[in-house]
This record gives sequence, structure tokens and C-alpha cells, in this order.
Amino acid sequence: MEELLEILRDIDDSVDYEKETALIDDHILDSFGIITLISEIEEHFDIEVDAAEMTPENFNSAQAMWKMIQRLQEN
Amino acid sequence: MAIHTNLYLLVFLPAVLIIYQLVPRKARWGVLLAASYALYISFSKYLVLLLMATAAFTYAIGRWMDKIGNDCEEKQKECTDRKQKSEVKKAFQKKRVTALRVGVLVLLGILFYVNYYNFVAQNCNIFLGKIGAQLPMAKVMFPMGISFYTLEAVGYMADVYWERYPAEKNLGKLALFLSFFPQIMEGPIARYPDTSDALFAGEPLRMENLNEGFLRIIWGLFKKMVVSDRLTLLTNHIFDNYKEYHGSFIVLAAIAYTVQLYLEFSGSIDIVIGSGKFFGVTIPENFNQPFSAQSAAEFWRRWHMSLGNWFKNYVFYPITVSPMVKNWNKMARKKYGKYWAMVGTSAMALFPVWVATGVWHGAGWKYLFYGMYYFVILLLGVALEPLKEKRNKMLGIDPNAWWFKTLRILKTWVIIFTGELFFNAKNLTAGFHMFFSIFGNFHISSIWKYFPDVITAGDVWAICVGSVIVWIVGFLKENGVDVRGRILGARTRYKWGIYYLIIFAILTFGAYGTGYQPVDLIYAGF
Repeated sequence: MEELLEILRDIDDSVDYEKETALIDDHILDSFGIITLISEIEEHFDIEVDAAEMTPENFNSAQAMWKMIQRLQEN
Repeated sequence: MAIHTNLYLLVFLPAVLIIYQLVPRKARWGVLLAASYALYISFSKYLVLLLMATAAFTYAIGRWMDKIGNDCEEKQKECTDRKQKSEVKKAFQKKRVTALRVGVLVLLGILFYVNYYNFVAQNCNIFLGKIGAQLPMAKVMFPMGISFYTLEAVGYMADVYWERYPAEKNLGKLALFLSFFPQIMEGPIARYPDTSDALFAGEPLRMENLNEGFLRIIWGLFKKMVVSDRLTLLTNHIFDNYKEYHGSFIVLAAIAYTVQLYLEFSGSIDIVIGSGKFFGVTIPENFNQPFSAQSAAEFWRRWHMSLGNWFKNYVFYPITVSPMVKNWNKMARKKYGKYWAMVGTSAMALFPVWVATGVWHGAGWKYLFYGMYYFVILLLGVALEPLKEKRNKMLGIDPNAWWFKTLRILKTWVIIFTGELFFNAKNLTAGFHMFFSIFGNFHISSIWKYFPDVITAGDVWAICVGSVIVWIVGFLKENGVDVRGRILGARTRYKWGIYYLIIFAILTFGAYGTGYQPVDLIYAGF
């Protein structure tokens, strides 16, 4: 989880990712931020994020992203 | 019968409300479906058959994908290990991809034929004529709302493919989602979960919904009839006679058209959302104070939001995570570094989005130019971001300072006005003519001297006062004050006082009378 938080802080360090739960809904993380994020998490966690995963529910909070990463690692 | 006409507002809508309330709850969605097709027949006649066929086809594709998924699960039960299960899933996934491709190609093929066949044929014939060949022109009837319901249907099929929700088992209910009468002409483009539950629930009419819907509808009429419809006369005159005008008049026309388009489109969407609210259906918002945006990217998150969201969900993200783009990204990160990989990936994902956004608005080079205009601006925005941060640090600029935000908003306005100038120009050549003529003979004082006599001083006053009222309400909302919510929460006598005031303003200052023609809904033509 700490590794994910570091990736997120690298994209924008002004956000409190441990508390924020509407990263997509409130446009805190925009489409271009998502592009960087996907590249980083695929590289760091050795997963493949496909189009079906691209929902606000999976990216609205660091916790939701972490759950998705763990699920994709198990598959 | 457009949604801003008396026939719709005073006859059709009340009649549907009464019938809806009278029939048993379980059958109410059927009333909404019948009303939707009746309204559609009123302006597109037998083309309702295409709408019905689209619903049936979308339904069949959804059910087909669900069946393949169920067959896959059955087959997987027979597997003994994970590897076997994964191979079975892959094999069935191929079938689901085929189903999705068939669905998307057929629906987009129809949309392409209806909107662009003649445009493409015309342009091809320029070259084919040189070798003595010609593509025939087609007599195509334009089915109202096809650009909106096709995107809803494609979005539905993609979501079922991605297993975000199961396919709808009732053909009639899916048909209602695709044709719900307030939305059919101008959207907003909804996703299935946005409206489906409320559409099928058959909730009884409730006073709070009727209040909310009524306020929303009269607010929409105010925007459209008091300001937008009056501006139409001025903008039509200058855009039609653009060669007679230059300098400050072209700037005036660009600003006036942007205000007209915003108040017309957002006003119509208010009527749409208000109509839906009567039946307890919350239709997604399409605008969120777009002129408060500090960048072009933010503007598109606030303007025609349902179209932007559709392209983001079904074009931008799928391209971003497609194997081709991912492989390029990996290679570029190693070879050129993270920055160039991000810029390149953004370009690859943005380009198709903005080509599609441009051509979605219609057949014509000006629409393609409009899309490319925003593609370049948005890509520059991404590419220059590190430079902007450096500049701010070097010059000690606080990005949250009010003056800096104001400058950014003004810069965004210039981008928007320029875009709308090309968007509404007769064609691309006229757009460039108008744009370059801004820089010759620019005298603000000449506006008062040679103001076109197509609108009166009274019109100008109504436009200015109406625009200021809309701006104040938007400004307050942007700063956390929900004016609509406060009106609805006020005591009955105050609430009705405001209702009467808005109705009085529409009846007194709305664009009626000699010289005025009822103004069609702009986005219904796309």
C-alpha cells in the first residue's frame, strides 16, 4: 500500500490519499493523471489493467486501487 | 413537438403525467415507453421503426453476450484446474468480443451512413471525377436523436461486455431506456444504471418532485426564451453576412453565439431534467458552470458533460489501456523517459476522441477542425504542464491567487469563443475569414455606431439582464450557494412568488411576437 501511495504522491503531492474517497468523482485525478498511474502500477505491481477495470469505483480512493491491484495479482 | 413548445409543456407532458398516475405501478414504465414513441413519431414519423430496431438489436447483442458468459461458466464447472478454466474463459471471451464488434459496427455504421455518407461521397467525387467515376448521392432522412441514442446503446453493449451489469431481460424496458421522451432530442447521454431503476420503478408522482421539476423547467425556459432566442437574430445576421462585418463585430458575434448556445442547450437540458424529475427519474447533469473553468480541459469536464464522459469511458480509457498503446508506453518510458511517454500516450488517446467529438457534431470540415482545435490545445496543456510549474516557481506565482485564477479563466474564454466561432461559421473557409478579419479594423466604439438593427435596445437590455441573472445564480452555485435548493426549501408563498416572477419574466420578456420565429433546439440537429 505504501508503494501505491508513493506513486500517487509522485503524481500530485497536494492530496491526502489516505482520506480522499472521490479522486475521480471530484476530478482530483484527471484523465492524464490516470495515464501515468496505470503505467506506474502495472510496472510496480506486475499486473495488467484492462478496459473493464476503468471504472470510478476502482480509482476513487487509494484503498479501492489497492483492492483492485491485489485482485489482479491473484488472477 | 419539441420539448420547449406549448404543445409539449401544456398538453403532452400533463397528459402523460395523468395517465402515468392512473395506471397501476407495474405498468407505468409502459406508459413512459408509449409516450416516448408517440413523441418520436410526432417529429420523425416512420423513422420510429429505426429506433425500435436499434432497441431490438441492442437487446439481442446484450442477451447474446450474457448467454456466452453463462455457457462459459457452465463449461468452467467441468474444468479440473485453474489453467483449464483460464483457457476456457479465453475461448469464450473471443466469442463475446465478436458479439460486441458486430453490435458496435452495425450501430456506428448506421450513424455514419445517416450523418456522413453524402459528405464522404461528395469529397471522394472530387478525386473520382478525374478518372470519370462518381459515387451516387443518397437521399437520407435524418432520424431525430440518432447521435444520442446510438451512443447510449453502444455504451450499454460495452458495459455488458465488461460485465459491469447483466444484460436487460425485458426488451420493452431497454427500449424505454434508449428512447425516454425528455432525453431523445438532445440527451443527456445516460449510462444504463443512471436512469434504468427509476424509469422502471413506477414511483407515484410526489409533490417534491413536481416542485423541483417545475422550477427546473421554467428556469430552462427563462434561459432559452429571454436570452438565447433573442440572441439568435443577432448571431444569425452576423454569421450569415460575415463578409460585411469585421473586427469588433466578429468578436461580438463569437461571444454572443457562445452565450446563445450555452443558454439554449443548458436551458433545454433544464427542461429535460425537469421533465424527468416529475416521474422521479434523475437524469444526469450536462453542465456545471462551464465558464468558471480555468483551462480547456476543465471546460470540457463542465460543458456537455455526458458527451465528454461517454468519450472518456468508451474511447479514451479503452485506448489508453489497449495493448498497442501500453506497449508503446513501455518502450517510450525506457527510451525517451516518463514525460515523453505520457505526452505520446495522451496524444494517441486524445486524437481519436477529438476526431470523434468533431465529427459527432455533424458532417463538415469545420467540425473536424473544431475537434482538432481542442486536440491541439489539450495536448499542449499536458505537454506544457512542467514548464508552467517551473514558471510559477521562478516567478513566485501562487496558482491559487485570485488574480491568477481570473487570468486563467479569461484565457479559457478566449479559447472557447474562438472554438465556437469556427463551430457556427457557415463553413471552414468562412470561419477562417471571420477569424482573420478580427485583426483588421478592430474598434470597440464602432459597435455602438453600426450595431445591426435586427434587435432593438429592449432586446439588448433583456439579454444583458437575463445573462447577469443566470451568471449570478451560477456564481453562487460555484461558491456553494444552491439557489434552486433554497427556493425549493422556502415557505410556499415565497416559493410561488419566485415561480410567478420567473413565469412573468418569460411571458413579458420572452422572445415572442412579430419578427420572431420559434427557435429550434440547436443540439437536436446533431
